[in-house]
Amino acid sequence: MTMSREKRSVLIWLGLLPIFAVTLFPFLVMILTAIKPKDEVFERSWIPSRIAFENFAAMWTQTGFGRALVNSLYVSTLATILAIMIAIPAGYALSRYRFIGRSSSRRFLLITQMLSPIVLVLGIFRLLVIFGVLNDVNVVAVLYAGFNIAFSVWMLESYFSTIPRDLEEAAWMEGASRSKTLFKVFLPLALPAITVTALFTFVNSWNEFVIALTMLRREDDFTLPIQILSIVSGRYAVDWHLVMAAAFCATLPVAIAFAWMQKYMLRGLTAGAVK
Amino acid sequence: MTARLGFNPYLLMLPGLLISGLVILWPLGQLFLLSISEVNRFGQILGPGGFGNYAQVLSDPLLYESLWRTVIWTVGIVGGTFVLALPISMALSQDFIGRGLARLLVMLPWAISLAMLAIVGRWALNGESGTLNMVLGDLGLISSNIAWLGQADTAFPVQIILGIIATLPFTTTVLIGGLSSIPTDIYEVAKIEGAGWFSTFRRLTLPLLRPFINIAIVLNTIYVFNSFPIIWATTQGGPANSTDILVTYLYKLAFRFGRVGEAAVLSLVMFALLLIFTLIYVRLTTRGDEQ
Repeated sequence: MTMSREKRSVLIWLGLLPIFAVTLFPFLVMILTAIKPKDEVFERSWIPSRIAFENFAAMWTQTGFGRALVNSLYVSTLATILAIMIAIPAGYALSRYRFIGRSSSRRFLLITQMLSPIVLVLGIFRLLVIFGVLNDVNVVAVLYAGFNIAFSVWMLESYFSTIPRDLEEAAWMEGASRSKTLFKVFLPLALPAITVTALFTFVNSWNEFVIALTMLRREDDFTLPIQILSIVSGRYAVDWHLVMAAAFCATLPVAIAFAWMQKYMLRGLTAGAVK
Repeated sequence: MTARLGFNPYLLMLPGLLISGLVILWPLGQLFLLSISEVNRFGQILGPGGFGNYAQVLSDPLLYESLWRTVIWTVGIVGGTFVLALPISMALSQDFIGRGLARLLVMLPWAISLAMLAIVGRWALNGESGTLNMVLGDLGLISSNIAWLGQADTAFPVQIILGIIATLPFTTTVLIGGLSSIPTDIYEVAKIEGAGWFSTFRRLTLPLLRPFINIAIVLNTIYVFNSFPIIWATTQGGPANSTDILVTYLYKLAFRFGRVGEAAVLSLVMFALLLIFTLIYVRLTTRGDEQ
């Protein structure tokens, strides 16, 4: 296998290109359609004659994007704050204490992580109807937090375990209280892991579909995926350039976050998978 | 407050267990209650129903069609993804020019939500001016436009391809992680011993990658089995229920057909299946722990 690096690079890229042609096709379609002038959308052409920036302004006013954006931001932020605030103490307990019920708690969390909302959606819907809290974005945020707790706890625990105990013990020796040590010594060290975990929860909530579809039934409460779906279904003429502009704007922040998190994801996933 | 007061681990765990229990066990109890009751189409319980709902679900031919399609859907996506992800992750573990960019491009589809992917699919695959028809027409592969999502023969395979696009980034990430954990010196030894590429792959790479492959396959099976947005946002299981899988059938029973009791039964059955998958996963991961 003595092949020059250049030759190997060419071969690998030649192999990867057909795969990228398929996997990146949706992105290409989305972007090219989003920047096409209105009268070219249905034409058989690839490249738009000019970049139609006005699509984004039109999308903002015509598709209800702004309101859905606010809803998505609100629900995802609230869910993230809740999930992180609940997951930090749990992750800390699992990584620092040996107690009876520790492994069954971990197992319980793992099982909850495997459950997709779709299996429970009818039961949740019924509960929300009974309590009269259908169409409540706050309730949806709590549900998202609930579905993201397990993953957050696992992620945080695996990182917390890599922080040496000596640092905390040294602080105790110097007379710092447990809680002071936690806030001044431990949490600052864990900040990168907390950030990545928070971003994961945020992205999951941002992209969530079935709960939002079922529990938010008034247009005023729609999150982005539901809003965008609602403007393509049940209408005779769809302004696809506006829809694609909206889809692009809803995806872009996540794409940027993922590009940044890429190396953490590789590390975090494999750390969680095999210790 | 006493200075050195320790935390109680149970108190620290309590909120997490409480909220995940609340969000999961409570609805589960409701589903059980619905499944053994006589329920009207608005989800109101009229009285005890015994096993009536169970019998009705089991006698619906749509259940078996959706079940069979779920098997094809899951095997197609999980299998197809694996067949692609293995060579991709091996290529991405080589040292080559532009590797960082290639890894980024592989990960990119992870960023798009399933619902958004499906919506883009609706546009790209539509029968008149869809981008796919344009591309295939320009390449001379098709002579007339195809309504990809309008008929089951093409809709379901296309949905499976969308599923593979969405599943590939995660799988590749796990496998790259696995490959990077294999020490390189064993390959040197294999080379000195005169082992060829294929036997090195079969006897060294595959066995060492095994735990990662297992985990990727079990997790993917769970995710894909549960995956709702792609089919719902492209065809809603149509035309004429021909692309329904269990989750879309379940959703229709509950929120379209008004057969709430039966939907509850199906939810419980799916819950049981997921529990089995999860136990397999726990088995696989804890065995890894002990080694």
